[in-house]
Amino acid sequence: MKKSNMLAAFGLALLGATSVQAQDNLEVWHYYAAGSELAGMNALIDAANTSVDDANFTGVVIPGNVVELRRQLQTAFLGGRPPAAYQSSMAYELKTFADGGQLHPLTDAWAAIDGDAIFPEGVQRVVKVDGVPYGIPFDLSLINNVFYNKEAFQKAGVAVPTDWDSFTAACDALRDAGYQPLGNAGGTFWSLYNFYAALVSVVGEDGYYQIARGELGFDSPEFAEALDLYRDRMVSCYAQNWSGKTWTQTADDLINGNTGMFMMGIWAAGYMDTAGFKAGEGFDMFQAPGTVGKSIFQMDVLAVPEGPSVAAADEFIKAITTTDGQAAFATLKGSLAPNINVDPAVYGYAGATFSRQFSEASANNAVLPNLFFLLPTDLGTEFGVQIERFAIDPSDTVKAELISTLEGLRQEALAESAFIAW
Amino acid sequence: MNLSPHRLSRTDWTHIAFLALPTLLFVTFYVYPVISSIHLSLHDWNGFAPKMRFVGLQNYQVLIGQPRFLHAALNNIIWVAFMLIVPTGLGLLLAAILDRGIRGEQVFRIIFFLPFTIPAVAVGAIWRWMYEPDNGLITTVLKLLGLGSFAQNWLGDPNVVNLSLMGSVAWWTTGFAFLVFFAGLRNIPTECIEAARIEGATPWQVFWKVSFPLLWPSTIIVLGMSAIDAMRLFDVVWAMTKGGPAYSSEVLAVQMYDLAFGRFDMGRAAAVAVYLFIIAGVIIMPYIIYMSRRVQDSEAD
Repeated sequence: MKKSNMLAAFGLALLGATSVQAQDNLEVWHYYAAGSELAGMNALIDAANTSVDDANFTGVVIPGNVVELRRQLQTAFLGGRPPAAYQSSMAYELKTFADGGQLHPLTDAWAAIDGDAIFPEGVQRVVKVDGVPYGIPFDLSLINNVFYNKEAFQKAGVAVPTDWDSFTAACDALRDAGYQPLGNAGGTFWSLYNFYAALVSVVGEDGYYQIARGELGFDSPEFAEALDLYRDRMVSCYAQNWSGKTWTQTADDLINGNTGMFMMGIWAAGYMDTAGFKAGEGFDMFQAPGTVGKSIFQMDVLAVPEGPSVAAADEFIKAITTTDGQAAFATLKGSLAPNINVDPAVYGYAGATFSRQFSEASANNAVLPNLFFLLPTDLGTEFGVQIERFAIDPSDTVKAELISTLEGLRQEALAESAFIAW
Repeated sequence: MNLSPHRLSRTDWTHIAFLALPTLLFVTFYVYPVISSIHLSLHDWNGFAPKMRFVGLQNYQVLIGQPRFLHAALNNIIWVAFMLIVPTGLGLLLAAILDRGIRGEQVFRIIFFLPFTIPAVAVGAIWRWMYEPDNGLITTVLKLLGLGSFAQNWLGDPNVVNLSLMGSVAWWTTGFAFLVFFAGLRNIPTECIEAARIEGATPWQVFWKVSFPLLWPSTIIVLGMSAIDAMRLFDVVWAMTKGGPAYSSEVLAVQMYDLAFGRFDMGRAAAVAVYLFIIAGVIIMPYIIYMSRRVQDSEAD
């Protein structure tokens, strides 16, 4: 055989081997690139590889966040080579992909794991589109807790707030004692998560879902009242220069004793714990005013694209929804396992507190998914941008523009029948 | 080249063969995406649905009426002005200083150029840390110098954030302008400089009357690249602010990305891309034509 022919044959063989390897290697795409998040994801995938015979699931990190993952997914869908499974946001994100015909309905896997029994009702409603499950919960975080520096509270003589009046009193006392009362961070999400406390205080759980369904307008008196409450009780408490900080920088401020309180998702507890600032010792937490007894949560799920790997992906899902699989992720990442059968004893002090809060809220049917992901994507994103703008400049002018912008988008969404009755 | 099919020589065929690949690449990776983007901009599509809905010019009409879009376009124009003046001017200044043969020239060359070798995302991460408003390096140094009152909420104040971003981009890109200008200065024939000195020209006159006019080719490269960089600016802004707070630092490329992948609005994102293409053409093409003529004139002289 000529040398060139030999080289060609070798190249073809190599190409074939690569192709076979790519099919055997079942990729799970996610954007947990470092630290406790990556450790949790690796543990989840390891759990699946251990319990599924002949499985070879591999985690592939897509650097960035959900936006970068969407970009990568679109390319993969266009190219016809999507991953076996991928990390997705809940609710409207799943609907968009499901409506596009890209997602594999997880009806069989859901039945096999008895999803209706192991996940709380509030969780179930944001992974199903028209009653069909398209996502499997694995990473649940509460976003209505306020973390506080215990030493700062002690020095300022502050008791743990239980309502808006005691919260305002705490802010005043902390400021008088030389602390920045309440930390916040720049970005689309964080001010919005803070605002939910004021919103729920005014409109309650029913009103919250009415907004999600497009039934309660942004120009309603209730929404305006919620904005006023947020401005008067929270924005007035915010630390100086909060909008120029990332959430980790603000968490550092709490750790260093510059800031007294910080309302953030429970992943902040994991961050502070990793930094040596221990829950129950250095910091503690309470549910934000207006949300006591309720749980507002953010959740990531695993979705399965249509394709040749759906059978293997179903097995993957069965493995990661076991109590061991769910606990493996949650304990390392510092989140809550959505599976209610996970023993609360697997958590530390902070996790046990969050678990107790979530159980109580579930029992009271007071579990509220993150409104950002219940709304049509454009409206949800604009909601976050406008609330941050209002938090930076809480003037009546900005308030009026916020209401006008969001109500305009709500009307557009209504005209397009884009709202979902979650 | 004789293009009559009956009279093509072997040399003609060779030329055609050499031209075929670059032409194919140009059509595939430039012409087709441009046409495809224009086509997409006339539709409503979320990027995943099987079908696109034709909406005509609606995406363009909606954008032109949005303060958000106009603000981003204005930001782009401000960035063009900044990129043409600040990194370019600083690069020229540094090159002129170093061209005087100061001690440690090689070390300074590396120091000046080094930031340009850092990836944009890393630049964003570094400056995100430097701009921490209370404990970041910039604020800390200002406080140490007794200038704490000048410290700002660098990335969180809508009135300051663009200036902060420009500071980091100036640090990042000045090295490129410096390198091109420095190479240009070193290529100027020494006899021109010597002749001017013998005629009694001051160093200032030598630079402005002799060196700078002979730097036109370098200037064209630097200004052209700077203008293009300003129009396609994305990575540093995305890495540091994602266009925030509340769109205040948003440029068109960031808005395009947010609309496409943050909001599943591919059609409108494509319309932003087309607008960006047109604005860039309107701003940059006259400059390129003008500068090209200057080069030809300069070479003719």
